[in-house]
Amino acid sequence: MDQIVEKPETLIGKPIPKPDAPDKVVGKTTYINDMVLPRMLIAKIKRTDRVHAKILSVDISEAEKVPGIVAIATAENSPKGLIGVLKDNPPLKGDKVRCIRDEIAGVAGETEEAVDEALNLIKVEYEDLPTVFDPEEALKDDAPLIHDNKPGNLSLTFDFDHGDIKKAEKDSDIVLEEKYELHYVTHTCMGPGCVIADFDTHGKLTIYTQTQYPYNYKMDLAPALDIPAGDIRVIQPPVGGAFGSKLDVYPFEPIAVYLAKKARRPVKLFFSREEEFIASPTRQPARVYIKQGAKKDGTITFRDVNVYLNNGGYTSWGATIPAVMMRTMTGHFRIPNVEFHSKAVYTNNPFAGSFRGYGNVQATYVTATLMDKMAEELGMNPIEFRLKNAQKPGERTPQNSLLKTAALADCIKIGAEKTDFLEKHTANVAAREKPGRIRQGIGIATSIHNAGGAKIHKSDGCGTILTMDDYGRATVITGASEIGQGIDAVITQLVSEELGIPTSDVIIANNDSAIGPWDVGVHASRTTFIAGNAARNAAVKAKHQILAAAARQSNVSADQLDLRGGHVVQKDNGVSVTKLDRLLRAMHFAGDDAELVMVSEYYEPPSELEDKNHVGDISAAYSHGAYITELEVDTLTGGVKLHKMTCVQDVGKVINKLGIEGQMEGGIAQGIGYGLSEELIIEEGIVKNPNFRDYKVVTAPEMPEIECHFIEDDEETGPFGAKGISELPCIIPGASIANAVYNAIGVRFDNPPITPEKIVRALHGDKVEAAE
Amino acid sequence: MSNIENYLAPSSIEDAAAALAAGPATIVAGGTDLMLQTGSGQKTYAPTLINIQKITEMRGISKDGDTIRIGALTTITDLLTDAIIAEHLPVLATMADKFASDQIRNASSIGGNICNASPAGDSIVPMLMYKAEVVLVASTGTRKVPLNEFFTGPGKSVIQENELLIGVDIAVPPAGFKGGFGKFGPRPALEIAMASVSVGGVVKDGVISDVRVAFGAVAPTPIRSAETEVALEGKKLDEETISAAGEVASSSVNPITDVRASDWYRRHLIRVMTEEILNDVS
Amino acid sequence: MSAKVDIEFTVNGAVRQVSVPADMSALDMLRDQLDLKGAKEACGEGECGACTIIVDDASVCSCLMYAADCDGRTIETIEGVQTVDGLDPIQQAFVDQGAVQCGYCTPGMVMQAKHMLAKNPNPTEGDIQRGLEGNVCRCTGYRKIFDAVAEAARS
Repeated sequence: MDQIVEKPETLIGKPIPKPDAPDKVVGKTTYINDMVLPRMLIAKIKRTDRVHAKILSVDISEAEKVPGIVAIATAENSPKGLIGVLKDNPPLKGDKVRCIRDEIAGVAGETEEAVDEALNLIKVEYEDLPTVFDPEEALKDDAPLIHDNKPGNLSLTFDFDHGDIKKAEKDSDIVLEEKYELHYVTHTCMGPGCVIADFDTHGKLTIYTQTQYPYNYKMDLAPALDIPAGDIRVIQPPVGGAFGSKLDVYPFEPIAVYLAKKARRPVKLFFSREEEFIASPTRQPARVYIKQGAKKDGTITFRDVNVYLNNGGYTSWGATIPAVMMRTMTGHFRIPNVEFHSKAVYTNNPFAGSFRGYGNVQATYVTATLMDKMAEELGMNPIEFRLKNAQKPGERTPQNSLLKTAALADCIKIGAEKTDFLEKHTANVAAREKPGRIRQGIGIATSIHNAGGAKIHKSDGCGTILTMDDYGRATVITGASEIGQGIDAVITQLVSEELGIPTSDVIIANNDSAIGPWDVGVHASRTTFIAGNAARNAAVKAKHQILAAAARQSNVSADQLDLRGGHVVQKDNGVSVTKLDRLLRAMHFAGDDAELVMVSEYYEPPSELEDKNHVGDISAAYSHGAYITELEVDTLTGGVKLHKMTCVQDVGKVINKLGIEGQMEGGIAQGIGYGLSEELIIEEGIVKNPNFRDYKVVTAPEMPEIECHFIEDDEETGPFGAKGISELPCIIPGASIANAVYNAIGVRFDNPPITPEKIVRALHGDKVEAAE
Repeated sequence: MSNIENYLAPSSIEDAAAALAAGPATIVAGGTDLMLQTGSGQKTYAPTLINIQKITEMRGISKDGDTIRIGALTTITDLLTDAIIAEHLPVLATMADKFASDQIRNASSIGGNICNASPAGDSIVPMLMYKAEVVLVASTGTRKVPLNEFFTGPGKSVIQENELLIGVDIAVPPAGFKGGFGKFGPRPALEIAMASVSVGGVVKDGVISDVRVAFGAVAPTPIRSAETEVALEGKKLDEETISAAGEVASSSVNPITDVRASDWYRRHLIRVMTEEILNDVS
Repeated sequence: MSAKVDIEFTVNGAVRQVSVPADMSALDMLRDQLDLKGAKEACGEGECGACTIIVDDASVCSCLMYAADCDGRTIETIEGVQTVDGLDPIQQAFVDQGAVQCGYCTPGMVMQAKHMLAKNPNPTEGDIQRGLEGNVCRCTGYRKIFDAVAEAARS
């Protein structure tokens, strides 16, 4: 009797639970913060309390005497290599300190108590230097110099020029000129910073780290350590969140390595929450001057953008965000003439790293609120004005991004329709004139982001090795890192779909650089797209090998065969030819013809690097989103209550419904925080609110209802048509909220977060002046 | 560096008072403030740490004649669910609902909240409004101090080193008494008040009397506002009175500017919340 | 060094005796002395809920509780929630509803959800949101956690 295997329903688009979830819900997962290695020492960092000062002396003599102290690293007794995007950051500072997070010494000991005591006994003498905290001030001739070898305090500049903005300005019927002040926010990963360094007896380093770019991490870490990059093994235990914060090497990591080398024992260095707030990278703050013009009919004529980035004391990825900002400034909506100029300027503030959305959060806050304002000035409604300037399929932006679909217009139209946007928008404006404490508001914001990787390194690829064991299980060794976002679930699903085996029969092996093939890292919304393609392609190769063997064995041609439910079946009728595990064993133990199913794939997306003028189609695909916020404003307290966020998101194809919704909702929560409540308050270089009391992440009762509409336009280059989308949910909400607040109360805010106090001050400004 | 030489967990008030008489001690109840303050170095331990959580007679709410006793170990959660509170002192339940988070409400004690003497202490503001008296016990005797006279500055009060705060006494408010509590922070939960207000009084035929007004987070300690009380006492609670009271309330306080709010905004919130409560009770 | 205190209490059904420094937190005691590392220290200030445990039927932040105060009490940690039959319905719902991303907040979330459902077996969505107000999650945006708690309440 032939066994018939029915064609199962596709797994693509289904809600598949994450394979790591069961261990996490029972408290079994060992996070890096939970790890204990035999003979492991505890380490902490002695930080400065100055923002700009010459270091006259560092005295560790008393600290060394504390019982239980095993090693103390200072600039004097440690390697001198530099870290950071511009290699301007010595992990331990010997000559001067430039910001409040600066590291003077690392201390490793047997117990936390001993380490704390030793930290208190380290004596540092300083000579304070003049300070500067504002990027435009720091550019002035008489400004204090932060780095001797960086004249003018200039870190990085980006410039782009397309068309003729001067002429376009003359030809415009309306020109708006605005200044925005975009603030510091920080990731607040739930798992505070932590690293464990351990040398083997060959002198090779194993580093357990929270990094989200394990392979280039070696390259960036090695110069600080005086060891070859090849002698570093990177292991990524489970982490409590990352969101871009772990895309660079930060001083605490080499410091832990220095201590491990001195102590010849494993060293675990970890942050308190306060330290996490003070000494982690932030989102890049930005001062943006923007001019935008349009014709009376609503056609945008030009944009002229000048950005000053507060670089802080050292250069991490924050200074490079203009690369992404620029794409939105030049390419979100049809902008025929555009100039973009940015300067990142050293100051005595803490410095910024990368953070989900990477410059686009800032760019979108600016462009989406300006679009709203311009629509009003033109007497057009916010939908009409946006649609007028939305690109058509096949258009290229000034930086040469190819927009394949009409997703922007579709997102806007669907969003407007689903929310009765125009009716509500008009009614809310009318209601502003009537008495009443509570005002309703609705607002829309849109953006664009790379969705098929982002070629900012020489390769944007991901390596994958897929092997099958004798029992029909697939092991996928992927370069992609699982940092909680859910790539393991996506890869499991894609491989399971191709190989016709249950998801429980797919094993993911990653997060160890000694095992995994190269990947550029978890960033740029790229992992589902790039690692997904790599995994799927590997699975297809494995499938070909299996079916070829099955064809030889069964006399049915391979193209007539398929993999289904753990069997090789005839495609047309589902009749089982053989069980998969039996076939795999037969292949494996075939004597001279023995073969193991073991394939590899290095996927490089079809995209190009930017040229020196920032022109290049850097991503295989782009995604758009239109998010509509409905909220109410209490005009007396300034409190904002979010009712609902309706999000139309162009996703190519949903792979894992739970995963994509999770990315949407989680990103939105961070985006809401950006718009309404989160701000790392830094005054004269000092972080004033390094705690969850006063740094206000969004809590459960504040979360609005979220309604997602996914546009599935089957991206031809994506795995099963999928695009990567996980940054847009964080990028768009702030601006959407700002536009809704305007709709409610008629006040625009160019300085998020839109706190209750700012709202009340704007509404009762006359009283404020009288009182002050 | 902490250096606790002795740890005691007495099970009676008498034993605790005796322990306090023996030398300098730090008292811990729920721990929610103490652990925080010692961890940050804001506060150091005395040589003896006395955990009073085992003194069961200090937890709970009882009514004796016209006096309600809230034991010092009564948690904020207890206030939310207690029948005596709901009937006689409902503003304490309103306050409890706005207090921190469930986990903190479950651990925080009324006595700890009072002794911590935070200018923004949520529970203190409605207790000031209810004219609570704190009950202090030492091995030498017991004394009562009106809560209004208890605080001397941020984190400071008149409690002596040998005294244990065992509870607060609140007289059952007179018939027709109505009150309210307002607290503002941008989030619904986990907030330290930018400003808080409690107002109460007997409202009869639209006229308010026996008025008590208390504010939090606008002075070095939670305070009663005599000026606002005068502006309301015996007045008809109409729009004019309420608006005038709001004005007086706002101008009577002299708050600081910090990362949470400016002095102007705090005064504004005092006015808004005072008027809001008065509108609710009128 | 602070004085040591000998305490005895029940954790996840088993009686344990330990000696703890008088100033140690319950969280450090659970993690470092009893090797129960499910509860996390994410803030150490009672502002995030990642260290939530249940003590005598009330959820508390174990980072703010003195270990010595565990004496005589009954404590449940995340490690005690799973039964021999498998996941507790709350845990299963967290898995099925996609309520877990990085998972660092998850043990605290599950404990708080368990406490909430014990007090209020039929919560409204508003009750669930309020019930979780002391637990910060940075990954999920909470919606799937609300779904999970609602699902657990139904089962």
